[in-house]
Parts: sequence; C-alpha cells; structure tokens
Amino acid sequence: MKRIQTIAAACEPFLRNRYLKIGVLLVLCTLLLSGAAAVSVRAGLASQQEPGYLISGRLEDPQGQPVSEADISARLPGQSEPLAEAVSHEDGSWELLLPGIPERPLTIEISRPHFNPHFLNIGMADLRQVQDSGLWLGVIELERHISAGFWVATAVFLAVLLLIAFEVLHSTTAALAGFSTIFLVSYIGGAINPNLYIFSFERGLSYINWEVIFLVMGMMVVIAIIEGTGIFQWMAFQAYRLSRGKSWLLVLILMLITAVASALLDNFTTMLLMTPISLQIALAVGINPLALIIPEVLASNVGGISTLVGTPTNILIGAYAGIGFNDFLINQTLGVIIALVGMGAFVLYYYRKEFSKRSGGISPRLYQKLESNARIERADALWKSAVVFGLVLIGFVLGERVHLVPAVPAMAGATLLLIWLKPDIHKMIKAVDWTTLVFFMALFIVVGAIQEVGLISIAAAGMGRLIGQNLPLGVFVVVFGVGTLSTAIANIPLTASMLPIVNFLSGSIPGASSNVLYYALSMGAAMGGNGLLIGGEANLVTAGITQQTSSPISFKEFLKIGLPVTYLTLGVGFLWLLIRF
Amino acid sequence: MKNRILCPTRGGKASYANQDRAIALAKEREADLLFLYVSNVKFLGLTSRPFIVDIETELDEMGEFILIMAQERAEKAGVQTEITVERGVFDKVLKAVIQEQKISTVVLGSSKEGTGITTEAYVQKLGETISQELGVEFIVLRDGEIQKVFNQ
Repeated sequence: MKRIQTIAAACEPFLRNRYLKIGVLLVLCTLLLSGAAAVSVRAGLASQQEPGYLISGRLEDPQGQPVSEADISARLPGQSEPLAEAVSHEDGSWELLLPGIPERPLTIEISRPHFNPHFLNIGMADLRQVQDSGLWLGVIELERHISAGFWVATAVFLAVLLLIAFEVLHSTTAALAGFSTIFLVSYIGGAINPNLYIFSFERGLSYINWEVIFLVMGMMVVIAIIEGTGIFQWMAFQAYRLSRGKSWLLVLILMLITAVASALLDNFTTMLLMTPISLQIALAVGINPLALIIPEVLASNVGGISTLVGTPTNILIGAYAGIGFNDFLINQTLGVIIALVGMGAFVLYYYRKEFSKRSGGISPRLYQKLESNARIERADALWKSAVVFGLVLIGFVLGERVHLVPAVPAMAGATLLLIWLKPDIHKMIKAVDWTTLVFFMALFIVVGAIQEVGLISIAAAGMGRLIGQNLPLGVFVVVFGVGTLSTAIANIPLTASMLPIVNFLSGSIPGASSNVLYYALSMGAAMGGNGLLIGGEANLVTAGITQQTSSPISFKEFLKIGLPVTYLTLGVGFLWLLIRF
Repeated sequence: MKNRILCPTRGGKASYANQDRAIALAKEREADLLFLYVSNVKFLGLTSRPFIVDIETELDEMGEFILIMAQERAEKAGVQTEITVERGVFDKVLKAVIQEQKISTVVLGSSKEGTGITTEAYVQKLGETISQELGVEFIVLRDGEIQKVFNQ
C-alpha cells in the first residue's frame, strides 16, 4: 500500500497536466483493449479444441471465387436430424466435426442461395479415413443458379447507375432506392416466390465496409479543422512571393501545392479554398485566371492518387484489397509525380502566351490586401492540427506493422483534435459528409447484392476471357476503360462495382496478385475526373467560384485542356505500372 | 444633386474596358462613381459536401480585391470612387443598391462570349426593367463601347 502511495505521489506533478492526463488515459485504454483482445484470442483457441472427427473442404464458384456462408450438413440416409452442421468461411473453407463415426455411409449436403444444392456421398472407406486422420474433400465447385433474384439485383444495380449518371436522383437517394428495393424484394418477394430471394438483411450489412466509413469520417473531422486555419491561402500567397512575377513558375508551384494538399487532405476542400486566392493572384500578375486555376484543379485530381487518403476511391480500394498507406506511397507516388511533370509541361505549352506576359507588379495597397486575405487565421489551431495530423500520418505508416487499420489513427486523430482544440462538436459533426457516408453504405449493399447473385463473377469471367492471361492488356483495359468511364460517370459507384471484378482478375491473371490492377483502377478512376467539367465535385465547385468573376470556366474551355491531360496522365500512369510491376 | 454612377464589375481583363468607360463617364459628368461586386454562393448547391469554412467571406475578400483594382484605375484617371461588396442574387442586389445609394446612372458590361450570367440578352432585359421600375439611366456596354442606353 505504501509503495502504491509513493508511486502516486511521484506521478502527481505529471497528472496535473491535462494533456498528460489525456495521454495516460489513451495508453491505459490501449492496454485494456490489447488485454481484452488477447483474452478473446485465447478463448477462440480453446473453443477450437473440441473433440470430434473432421471432414473439411473448400467451396468455390465456377469462376474460382470462394463461396462463403454456405450451409454444410452431414446426414445419415433416412434421418432428418443432421449429424453435424457447419457454415463455410470467407475463404470458402469449411470443417464438419462428426461426434462419432457412423456405421453406415453418410451424405454431405451443401446448400446456399443462388447455387444449386450439392450432395457428396461418404462411403465406409472414407469414414475410416475420417477416423484415422480426418478427411479433406478438396475444392468443391458449386454450380450457379440464375434465379429471378439475379435479374432483380441486376436491374436494380443498373437502375441506380443510370439514375446517378443522368442525375435523375441525387446519388445518395438513388443508392438508398436501390437498397430499399433489394430488401423489399428479398423479404416480401422472397416470401411469395423463393426464387426472388437475394440476401438477408444481416448478410447485406456484411457487405458494408466499415473501415471505409470510419476512415472517411475521421479524416473529414481532421480536414474540417485544418481548412479553417487559412493554411491554403497562406501557401498560395507564398507561391506568389516565391515566383517573383514569373507566371510559369507560379503555376508550377501552385500545381505542386494543390497536388500535395490533395494527396494528404482532400481535393474538394483544397480547391474551394485555393480558387478565390488564386484568382486574386492571377489578376495581380496580369494573366488569365484560368491559366492558374484549371491547372490547379487538374493537379488536385491527380495528386490525390498518391496516398490512401487522397481520394475516396483510394480509400475504397485500400480497404477492399488490404492495400495500406505505405503500399500506395511506394507504388503510386513516383508514377503520380511523373504524371504531374507531364501535365506541367503540357500546361506550360497550352498557356504559353499567358505565361510569356511580364507582370507589371501591383500597388503596395493591393499587395497588402492580398497578404491580408492570405493570412493564417488561427495559428494556434494550425500548429495543434499539424501535430495531430503528423501523428495520424505516423499511425498510417507504422500502424501497418501491427495490422492497425488506417481508420483507427484517423478516428484517434479526430478525437484528439476535438479534445485538444475543443471546437463546437455540433459544428464538427456537421462537417462530416453524412450524405456521402450514407451513399457509401447503401451502395455497398447494392454492389453486394449483384456480388451475391453472381453477376460480378459472370462479368469478371467475361472480362477475364477478353483479357486472357495478358497482364499488360489487363492493366491497359482497367486504366483506360475506367479512366474513360470516369470522365462522365461518378467514380465512386464505378470503383465500387469494379472492385470485385478486379479482385477476380487479380486472382486469375498470372502476375496480377501484386495488386497492379487495383493501382490501375485507382489511377483510372481519379485521372478520368479531369476529362470533363462534370467529372468531379472539385471541378464543379471551382467552376462555380470562377463564375463570380469575368473569367468563368466553361465546359468547352475545360474540355480543351482537361481531355488531353486525362489521356496524357492515363498514358503515363499505364507506363509507370508496367515498369513498376 | 450630384449624379451618382454605379458600375457593377467582376474584375479581370474582360471588364477593364467597361470600367474605363464608367470612369470616363464619371469624369465627363463630374459624377460620383461607385463600383459594386456581387457574390452568389448558389453554385455550392452543385455539391452536397459540407464544409465549415466561410466561403462567403473568402468571396467577399476576393470581391474587395477586384474592386480595389478598379478603384486604382479610377484614381489614375483622377476620379475618386467608392466600392461596395454585396451578397445575393445579382438583379435583386443591384436594385437594392440603386435605391440605397440614390444612383442616377448604371453602367453594366455584357459578357463577350455569352459566358457567365451577364449575357447581352440578360443585361439588355435587366436594363430595360430597372430603367422602367426605378427611373434610372442604364447604359449597356460591350468592350467599353455603348451598346444601348435605357432612359425612362
């Protein structure tokens, strides 16, 4: 007791500091969670050591993809009660534990919605093997059953895509309509005609990738705090100062700033804050503001590709394929830099007349106004959020060593900022883009439905036949196919639908297990956003701000530079992936 | 009472000739010149993305910068000016400022390529309406040249 009191007394000065208190609390929570995890693992191991006789195997669909959640039961002929039951795991594997060895042959029945039932007879010789060493039945291919539910899920998915593409409904409303239809048909329709059944509510929820939801949520809070500090405007002004009136240098620095900011934060916010100050700088330098702003938005769309958190599509890809922050940095960043260099060269050529103009300089009054418009608003919040953001990045980089999913450092960073800066919590919760998060959740379920009924497998097999065993062709098709579609179609639903297809191709094309096709998807989805003005929200909001001046970005003006840049960067990205992998 | 000229502007090269014409007119008529910038964040409706940053203030600051540039052009020509930044729907704000500031003449340029909201057809219609409703002179410009004058 005396010893505890001594320790408490020694710790008292440290515990008086509230930040240390928070730190101590966080460490204690981590230790408690680790302890709980260790206990649960031990409990899990203990539960696996039940006595019995093992029959195991693995289930695959006709495209070689694992079949999970299939019901497997062992029965004796003429008996309704099964001897043993099991459910297949995520990787398609299953294990049946017989309580004893029966004296007559038994039948194993495998059933799952959207597959024909499969029966296996286990004879006496096999049962002897079960008794001796257990029986491994190998890979069992289940035959697909194209049910009415297949056509309903397919029609719903296509309807959602069309409603989004033609802007009949808001993307979130369209996805929610798809979500509701699938479950209504599954439950009400399924009760009338079992062929209409798609999946259960629980099974549908299992398709929601919560890692994506929490990572996006955490990053949104962190970004919301950083965006209010004035850092973007300050950086743009520093670019103006550094360039000393040389507009070609100014545009390159601004492109670099927007690319890096988009890679670490978010290109929508970056452009929202960079555009007004860039317009002022362009007027100060005496060039067409579009010669600065269009290159900025193009760079922001490409810059995000280099990190896991740079674009929502990268977050989707990373969470689905288990590609971490470091993987994106190692495998994408250099390619993105090369693409940006190519883009920079094209921009300098395209706007060569504008950039050849010499700036006459601005009056001290205008300079002062520009400087004041670009001031750091909240220095205190800036350095605190910089510290936390640095910790989040460290969490992303080092967390992979302990299998820490990126959502955890992002949420921890957001929480730490909320504790440290004490912003209005209601305001911060409003800063989270719930519309997008709900869209993600509903979309995951709609895509899950077509995955469940087998459409994705069929589409993937078709694509597999088209591409064959040719990996460079596969990379080409994904980069340019997705890139072209992304110019007009919202890239989030496109990416979400492509993920299972890319997963199949990654498993079937030799050499594709390196995840190269996922990187191709990431590049295509983001670079395609530069093709048309409607290709991304950042493009639209930038155009909206320029409409407040006499230099608005028109659809045609954007297309003239955006489309060549799109195919230039897609080409660079494709070549980079061929070299890298 | 001294004449008061209002020149709504959005800055940039395309508007310099129109600003110069308004400055020349103010000098010629020995009138007061008021430059106006109107921002409208309706475009944010194109996205459902939330943000806590005050984009209206950012646009106000941009507008003020644009108007200071116009003011400096006028000062070089020896004309003293006032500037005002407003938010809202352009024609409504314009009418309100005309009444509040007791404006006698409005000088407004139309977009050359028909981009933005100030297309020639829009500006001419606006000029006609405002001139009739508020009894002010409304001069429509294109590249600094007078296209039409509405005077009740």
